[in-house]
Amino acid sequence: MNLLVPLLFVSVAVGAAAAVLAWRERPEPGATPLAGLLLGQCVWSVSIVFQLQATGVASKLFWLRFSWVGVVIIPVAWLLFALEYTGRDQFARPRYVVLLSLVPAVTVLLAATGGFHDLLYARVYTTASGAVEIREGGLWYWFIAGYTYLLGLSGVILLVDLLASEAVTFRSQGIALVVGLLAPWVTNALFIVGVLPVGAVDPTPVAFSLSGVIYLGALTRFRLLGTSPAPKKRARQFLFDRMQEGAVVVDINDHIVDINDSGIDILGVTASEVLGSPAGTVIPEYERFPEEGALSGHLTVGDASGGHPYDVTVTGITNVRGVPIGRVVTFHDISKHLRQQQRLEVLNRILRHNIRTETNVIHGYVDRFADDEDARVVKRRALRIEEIGRKGREAIELFDEGREDGEPKPLARLLERCVDGVRESHPEAVVDCDLPEEDVAVAGLLTPVFSNVLANAVEHNPCDRPRVRVTTRIEGDRVLVSVADDGPGIDDYELQVLEEGTESALVHGSGLGLWIVKWGAEIAGGDVRFAENDPTGSVVTVEVPLLDRSADDRSVANGRPSDGDRLR
Amino acid sequence: MSNESYPASASADGIGRLQHAVSERYGRLKDLLVYSSLYLVVVAVAEVLTAMVALSLPLSLAPVVVGLVTFAVYVGDRVADADTDELSNPDQSAFVRRHGRTLSTLSAAAYGLALALSLTAGPLALAITLLPGAFWVLYASDWLPSVGARLTRLKDVLLVNSGVVAGAWAVALLGLPLAFAGAAPTATAAVVFTYFFVDTFVNTEIPNVGDRHADAAIGVSTLPVVFGVARTRRILYAVEASLGVFVAWAFFEGLLSAALAGGVLAGLAYTLAVTAFVGRTEAYSRLAIAGELKALVVLAVVLAFGV
Repeated sequence: MNLLVPLLFVSVAVGAAAAVLAWRERPEPGATPLAGLLLGQCVWSVSIVFQLQATGVASKLFWLRFSWVGVVIIPVAWLLFALEYTGRDQFARPRYVVLLSLVPAVTVLLAATGGFHDLLYARVYTTASGAVEIREGGLWYWFIAGYTYLLGLSGVILLVDLLASEAVTFRSQGIALVVGLLAPWVTNALFIVGVLPVGAVDPTPVAFSLSGVIYLGALTRFRLLGTSPAPKKRARQFLFDRMQEGAVVVDINDHIVDINDSGIDILGVTASEVLGSPAGTVIPEYERFPEEGALSGHLTVGDASGGHPYDVTVTGITNVRGVPIGRVVTFHDISKHLRQQQRLEVLNRILRHNIRTETNVIHGYVDRFADDEDARVVKRRALRIEEIGRKGREAIELFDEGREDGEPKPLARLLERCVDGVRESHPEAVVDCDLPEEDVAVAGLLTPVFSNVLANAVEHNPCDRPRVRVTTRIEGDRVLVSVADDGPGIDDYELQVLEEGTESALVHGSGLGLWIVKWGAEIAGGDVRFAENDPTGSVVTVEVPLLDRSADDRSVANGRPSDGDRLR
Repeated sequence: MSNESYPASASADGIGRLQHAVSERYGRLKDLLVYSSLYLVVVAVAEVLTAMVALSLPLSLAPVVVGLVTFAVYVGDRVADADTDELSNPDQSAFVRRHGRTLSTLSAAAYGLALALSLTAGPLALAITLLPGAFWVLYASDWLPSVGARLTRLKDVLLVNSGVVAGAWAVALLGLPLAFAGAAPTATAAVVFTYFFVDTFVNTEIPNVGDRHADAAIGVSTLPVVFGVARTRRILYAVEASLGVFVAWAFFEGLLSAALAGGVLAGLAYTLAVTAFVGRTEAYSRLAIAGELKALVVLAVVLAFGV
């Protein structure tokens, strides 16, 4: 008992200091309840000190009953702390605080009126040595003890997640919090079962001084309240609710268990009416959805006045043991994409058919009128228009292929074809090509990219015999294809426009070729770089990632004796 | 020749370095004393000792508890107000920010220790020890406005702000030695309480003159903000003169000893001299410290003539 008193003083000092620090951390999640918990501990300790100091039975009984104020604050504050700290602050609102405080309030009332009933009795005994001893009990005593342990356990369960957190800080915080609570709880349990040799004085508040030290350490060392996991849970919910795609979560029996804001808008429903409903009654054509993966084609959702097309993807959800427990269905609005595709198709038709037809007509008519220099200029210009139309088609096809993720093609075959093409159209040019030694594949959509780089190197070269050299170099999982020429080099103005990425009526390049090179390289997941060649000319380097080859391409490539059989 | 002059030059350098080191250490000590409010601890302890001498109370832990509470409350206040003090007191704000975590932990530990020590004197001593902390929560922290939109920090309300500070400290400075001694309040205790209350009120308003622009910017109503500097000086003169009349009356009524009355009146003369600088200097931080140090003057006079 003698040792208990100084320990109680320590308990008050440490508890009060920790309470002040926790109070200063407001409005961090959990700061106010933690200060409340430590305050409750101090009230309890102080009451025991004054109970021991008191000389009369009446004042001893007063402080014993007053101690209940501190005793009942602790479990409520602990649970509120755990709720706030783990991001479940919606359950720490005043109405829940009042609800949780009902049993404690009744307890304090029963303690204050202890002289009139036996629900929370405090009986006075005189020991053989003449000392006055007070023992507690009664029906409500065991009820509040159970209630206290229930709230304590609930708080620990909420914090268990922290113990398994990937972040060392949160793990340390979790350990500190749980150990800080277990110390007084175990002490109290041992006191209740009568194992501790402390007579009738409950030493639990002394154990709380250990909690105070741990919480002080956690506040200063592990940034308890300074680095809080509270936003984590809310952030995930926030992202789910606010994501642009509609999302519906269904359980293993295809009943809707959650739906985000976009999902509600897309399906034109309210959350309350769909939660718990079978998905088939809410989502159109649900029976057509795959177990997992993308729905073939698109799904149109909407009324008769005009629906919206959606790409639908189903993703399975499993528990920690890998057992399926539900699925997430996401709806991605593709109406804008389809409109764009429609416009490109129309544009493609105009570039492919209409322009070619019109230029052919111009060509034919000019032949009928004259065969002088003027007529030749008009015919050259007409051919130029047709060339621009062809480049436009190439650009459109590039975007189309880009959407289809670019089928892998063997780089060697692709370069050979491009080089053959330029040799055929420009027989005066000398084109050297070092094909890659390894059998590697790149996105098939790169064909117009390499064709345009080669064509540029030859067409803009005024020499009688333009020289072009193609080299390839593999660096890790990427390949660099460089095309060097001995022409005049690319105009800085053209490169500047390309770098800025936009054109206007006043600031623009001279054609589409370089744009096709840039767009194609970017769609393939790479980029393009321009440098000056020595002594003259330019070096265009296209760097793109290597892709896994499809089976068909491998069989074709394997037919070439020079190709290796390496698969990337 | 050069050999002879070398040691002299080295000696001069050594003295220079020593002077620099002393000056640097003095600067740090001054920062520690002023910015961490340690000088206020000395002042508060002197006031408690004055009360104990005036009321003939036995030596107890009361001065220690008051010193710890003073440190805890003032340092806590400076940590909480480090942002708003940046405008009016940038050096102090920088010091507090630099040592924020240490000062915060020390002040919390000081309050915890003060509460534990006060337990030895019983529930009344504990309640009085809690009082400055509770008043600080009501006075300076943002807790009061946070619990209701219509409530405001007491620190923002004219006269209530200085009145709360003066009341809390007067109760603590007088009540704790009484509680530790288990003595009942007397008429002399009431006079000492009035002296502490008025004295603390004046000492709170003097630094408010220097803070008037910053206070006005954040909506804190103080005498200088509402009445201007010159009228504040006249109001403080009037308050101090009233206190002088009250002390003289108490002396002639036999409520104060000659030593205590002399000490308080000497302190009042000192305070009148300090108040005369209000509106005539810009060094309000120093003026406030000078005003606070009056407690040492009073204690010195009381000890010199009373013991």
